[in-house]
Parts: sequence; C-alpha cells; structure tokens
Amino acid sequence: MLTGQRITLTATVVLLLVIGVAPILAMFTASVMIDGKPSLVHYQALVSSHRAWVLLGHSLTLSSLTALCGTVLGVPLGILLGKTDLPLRYLFVVLFTLPLLLPPYLLAVAWSTVLGREGLLSDLAGGTVAEMGSAALFGLGGSVLVLTTVFMPVAMLLTIAYLRTIDPRLEEAGRLVARWPRVLCRITLPMIRPGLAWAALLIFLLAIGEFSVPMHLRYDVFPVEILTQFSAFYDFGAATAAAVPLALLTVTVLIGEELFSGAPRQTMRGLMGAAERSFIRLSAARAGWFLGVGLLCVVLVILPLGGLVLQTSPIDYLEALTRGGDSLLRSLVYAASGATLLSLLGFFCGYLIHTHALRAWRWVDFLTLVLLVLPSPVIGIGLIGLWNRPATDWIYGTPMMILLGYMAQYLALTSRTTAAALAQIPASMDEAALVTGAGWFRRLSTITAPLARPGLLAAWLVAYIFCLRDTGIALLVYPPGHDTLPVRIFTLMANSPEGLIAALCVLMMAATFLPLAPLGFIMKRRGRML
Amino acid sequence: MTVVTLQGVSKHYRERPAVTEFTLRVQAEERLVLLGPSGCGKTTVLRLLAGLVAPDRGQIDINGEVVAKDGKNLREPQERNLGMVFQDLALWPHLTVKGNLEFGLKAQGVPGAERQKRIGKMLKLMQLQGYAEAWSAGLSGGQQQRVALARALVLQPRLLLMDEPLSSLDFELNLQLRQELLRLQGELGFTLIYVTHNLEEAFAIATRVVVMKAGRIDRIGAVAPIRAHFEELLRRTAILAREFIVYDALYAYCRE
Repeated sequence: MLTGQRITLTATVVLLLVIGVAPILAMFTASVMIDGKPSLVHYQALVSSHRAWVLLGHSLTLSSLTALCGTVLGVPLGILLGKTDLPLRYLFVVLFTLPLLLPPYLLAVAWSTVLGREGLLSDLAGGTVAEMGSAALFGLGGSVLVLTTVFMPVAMLLTIAYLRTIDPRLEEAGRLVARWPRVLCRITLPMIRPGLAWAALLIFLLAIGEFSVPMHLRYDVFPVEILTQFSAFYDFGAATAAAVPLALLTVTVLIGEELFSGAPRQTMRGLMGAAERSFIRLSAARAGWFLGVGLLCVVLVILPLGGLVLQTSPIDYLEALTRGGDSLLRSLVYAASGATLLSLLGFFCGYLIHTHALRAWRWVDFLTLVLLVLPSPVIGIGLIGLWNRPATDWIYGTPMMILLGYMAQYLALTSRTTAAALAQIPASMDEAALVTGAGWFRRLSTITAPLARPGLLAAWLVAYIFCLRDTGIALLVYPPGHDTLPVRIFTLMANSPEGLIAALCVLMMAATFLPLAPLGFIMKRRGRML
Repeated sequence: MTVVTLQGVSKHYRERPAVTEFTLRVQAEERLVLLGPSGCGKTTVLRLLAGLVAPDRGQIDINGEVVAKDGKNLREPQERNLGMVFQDLALWPHLTVKGNLEFGLKAQGVPGAERQKRIGKMLKLMQLQGYAEAWSAGLSGGQQQRVALARALVLQPRLLLMDEPLSSLDFELNLQLRQELLRLQGELGFTLIYVTHNLEEAFAIATRVVVMKAGRIDRIGAVAPIRAHFEELLRRTAILAREFIVYDALYAYCRE
C-alpha cells in the first residue's frame, strides 16, 4: 500500500482510539482506583445497592417495551411507506422521522402540553380526563409512548432501506403463485429478518441510555443514577462504577449481534442504489390505509408538536430569545463545527471500512458502532475522567470537550454514511485514475470525494442534526458559560413557566428543521447530477 | 387450441417504448421462442404475460380468459395458472429446495399429503432426490436451474415462461438442460414460451420462433425458415461459428 494512504489511515485509527477508546478506559480505571490504589469499593456499593438493581430493572423494562413497540409500529409503517403506493408516503416518512431529529425530552415536554394537568386535553375534556391522562403520561407508560415516538423512525427507516435491498425477482417469483400478504410474510420479511432484528436491537440500545425522557416523566432509570452520583453527590468514582454496567451491557449486546447476525445479509445488494423495486398496489384499500397512517401521524407527531406550538405566545418567544438566544447560537456553531469534524474523520473511517485498507477496519467499524449506542452519560463521564487534569485543562475548560464528545459518540453516523456512499462508486473510477499515475491524495480529492459528494453532504447533515439534538454529552461536559440550547432548556425545565419552555422547544425545532430545506434541495440537485 | 393471445399490446417504460403493437397467438403444447437482441422487449412480453407489469394498451388472453386489457391487469399473477423461470432463477435463499417448491403449493391451498406427493414426484423427475432439505445457495448451477424449473412446474401450470434461463451456463450443461427441458415438455405437455438471444438454443428448443426487433415482431415462423434466414445472414457476413452465435453479435454485425 502507498505510504501516504497508510499513514493517513493509521493516524485516523489512532485518533479514534484517543477520542473514543481512551475516555472509556480512563473511566474504567477511575472506577477501580481510590487515592491511586486499586479498589472495588464502588462496585461493591453498587452491587449491594437495592436501588441500583431496581433502576436497572426499570431501564431494561423501559428499553424492551420501547424496542417492542417501536418495532411493531415501525416495521409495518416501513412496509407501507417504502413498498406501497400509499398517497403522500414521502411526506409521511419526513413527518414520522421528525421526532428522531429532536432532543428526546422535547417530545416528553410536547406530550406534557397535550396530556399534562394544564394541557390541551384538560382544556378540551375537563379535569378528570386530564388527571387520567396526566397519570398515564408520568411513569412507565408515558416514557414508553414518548421513546417509541422518538425511536420508532429507526425501525421504519431501516425497514424501508432493507426492503430496497431485496432483489425484486425473488418477490415476483412469489407473486406468480401467491398474493402480496403471503409473499411479504414468507419471502420478503424473512429475507430482511436480520435487518429487522438489528432495528429492534438498536432501539433497545438507544432507549437504555436515554435518561432525559424518563427523568422528565418521573420514571427512575439506571442512567439517572450516573447523573445523580456525578451531579448531586459529586462522587466521580461511584458515577463511573455506575456507568460501567451500561457500557458492558451495550458492548455485550453488540458482540452478540456481531456473532449471531444471520448469513442472509449476504444476499442483500447493499443499502443504497437498488434501482428496481417491486411495488404493492393497495388498490381499494388505499384510502383506508391512508386514513390509518394519517391518524397515527397526527397522534404521534402532529398532536404533540402542534401542542407545543399552541402553548406559546409572542411574549414567550421574546423571553425565550432573551434567555436562550446565546445558547441557541452556541448550539448552531458547535453543531456545525462538530458535523464538519465528524465528516472529516468519518470520511477516512468510512474509506477504511469500505476499502478494508487496514486490517483494523473491522475494529473501527465495530468501535464506532459501540460508541454510537453507548449511553451518552457514559461517554461524558469518560471524557471528564480523561481530560479533567491540570495538564489538559486547555481542553477541559473549553468547548473542545463538547466537540470531542460529539466526535466520540456520533462518528458511526458519518463513517457508515461515507462507506455507503463510496460503495456506490464503481471501483473502476479510482482504478482509471490510478493507471494514469495519480497519487492517493489526488485520487481521493479529485475523483473519490467529488463523486461521493451527495453522500458526504448527507453525512454532514445527519451529524449536524445529531450534534444539535445532543443533550447527554453536553450536559456533563459543557464548560461554564458554554451551555447549548438543549442543555439550557433541560436545566430551565424544572422551574420555568411552561410557555417559556415551549417557546424554547419551538426555537430548537426551528434550528433543527430550517437547515434541512436548503440542504435537502442541494443534495437533490447534486444527487441528480451524479 | 389457443393458450395465449396478445392483441395490439404496447408497453412503455417512462418515455421509452418497450413493446409496440404486439400481436401473437400461441397454441397449446407449442414451444415458442422469442429471439432478439438485448433490449428488444422479449422479457417485457414475458412480464406482461405473467402479470408483473400491466400493458399500456391492448389485450392479453390466457387459457381463453381476458387477463389484461386497456392498461389494467384484470387477473393477478397468481391467478393466471402459469409458471416462470427467471434469468437469475430467483431461488429464495432462506428456504430449502423443498421450501422453494412448497411455497406455491401452500399458497394455492394444496393439502399436505398431496403437496408431499407432488414435491417428491417433481424432485424425482428433476433428478434432485436427496436434495429436498438442501439450501438452494449451496447447489451447483445445474442443480439450481433444475430447482427453478421444478418450482415452476410443481404447480402444474399449463403455460411455462422462461427468461433466458440457461444463459449463464457452460455449453455442456446448457445442452444437457435443453434436452431435459424438451423431455419434460413432452412428458408434462405444457405450453412453453422461451426467451433467448442464443440462436443455437432457440432452434434446438422451438417449434416456432418469433424474432423481435425494437419492441415489434420482425419475423415469425417455424424453425426451418427462420434458421435458413439466419444461415443466409451468417454466410453473407462470413461468420463461421455455429455454436452460441448470439443474436446481438449478428445483429450488430449486420447493421454495420
């Protein structure tokens, strides 16, 4: 292999180790050391704590129910929106995806404006019904509802993507002898079963690390224990010990998935670019399905987000801008900077994963995935453990901590998007440049990167949205005076008027959605040009 | 008896015409081969017959019943009592050989005992005994070909559509499977519509040949006159090879 390529990719791997692995190792070390000596005191305290086991049980219950509901809803929706001629299906995909793009607790706040004691339901149906709604919302049921709304799009989008990978001939061969429902059940779904199982697992892992929604809806879960130990008791050792079980659980589940994921994936043709697809015509049932999906969209998305908007007045927005304007600006700057850094690092990681240029490619892919699904408080605690020392105060005391956190947690988003984009470029493109004598950097900058531009832009956009919505990392590592808007809202929520919180949430929604329109337009144009 | 009738059938994909004003009758137990260069509309004709796409215009009758008319499929694919073998075979990789054969039988409500009997008989006919529980992906190319054929025939269709099923096989296997196909057609008596761009294959299988060009019928007739026409072309163009002359090459050569 050429030297420039090897050096660059090796440097990428080293950077990944420093950004992603070192904090986790530092955290683990801190959990087994007291005053410079090895000790398992924190673990003994954790294991003997009845509360910790209860919280772990709560976390497993909540994430399992969320995974179940998210998959049960998301897979049929994915089929309806990705494989049928349902009217307005693209609009529905966008609408159902919106909650995934927002900080999860924002949806909890939104649902509170509908079902809370002083919410829309109270205005419409009176006190008794509102009491019942409020009782149902605050607790396990409400947490499952909100997290299902937030993470269901994962199952929906993955179902749509996996359906596109199926060779239409396999379905047509089935259609010659059976109706669509049987073909779906016996041919299509079994072929994408590993993908669907992965979707359920991903929702489970994302939900188990989520703390802001259960915290708002007063359902105690394990990640809250980490925050409590860290923020309330200032016990860093106990916080790290509490973070380790979640980290171990995540890694164990992912290793299990790697080992036992089915071979049928080999029959798939790649997640993007299948030009030909077989469509299900809903015929007479079209109107019924449309009404059903529309109703679900109203209930899960439009009602809570609309309720949030209705809760506000112009004065609230003025107040929100006064109290959260600086945080909003910082959020935009940090998210854009984080997305740019993530795109750069993700490009080389994606290149490595796509080309297998170093033997470490498999580890890079796995590691980035682990970091993505690792609960954000775990990464936050790890970053503090690694960088909170006098020698590195120039990092710890600055917004670089937030950027490092973004890069650690969200690298898989850009690396995998890049790898998928690179997979669409015929190998002959690079080979044609190679035979002309062009070096690796030249080929990369003049052939590969320009050809992958729509994918790279998509990677930046996805990274931007996830950096912008991040709460868990920023909440733990932001230096004084550098909080982001999600953190500001989260800290104001407990003792501020509902109108102000709703207005801040609407500002957050605007900051998330506004860049989508022009960037979506650019990507569409670039995609057409490619 | 007429099994298939296509009357003025046209099909466009976006702006591009795939099949234009296509009219054809196929008789029972006939072996009709659609021959022509790539992109001439052969596969589209098969897909129209199978009901996998709807014609923009015209009418299609199968077994005396109107199955498609004026831009609409009136009969769904599974209601047309036909079998199809795809170019890439489309064997379901997550099902065993038996699972592949059983799928259609179950879908059509064939009782369990009858299913097993028909599957056993078909596997024997295809010389696939002992492979019932094998995964299709682990079979050789020839065996996969036989499974695809068995899957289509186990439903006892009156009409079998084959879309270049032997194109990826080497010469010997191609020859062997061709002979097996003729034997099966003789035994089971189905009507065969076979798509290829291989002249040799077409003449070996067909009782009648339809030569297609740009979505239309260019020439139609029994094997002898069509073969004579192509042999004349071959002589004129001084191509001496006899085996595996593909229409595309000849067509391109003649156009030049």
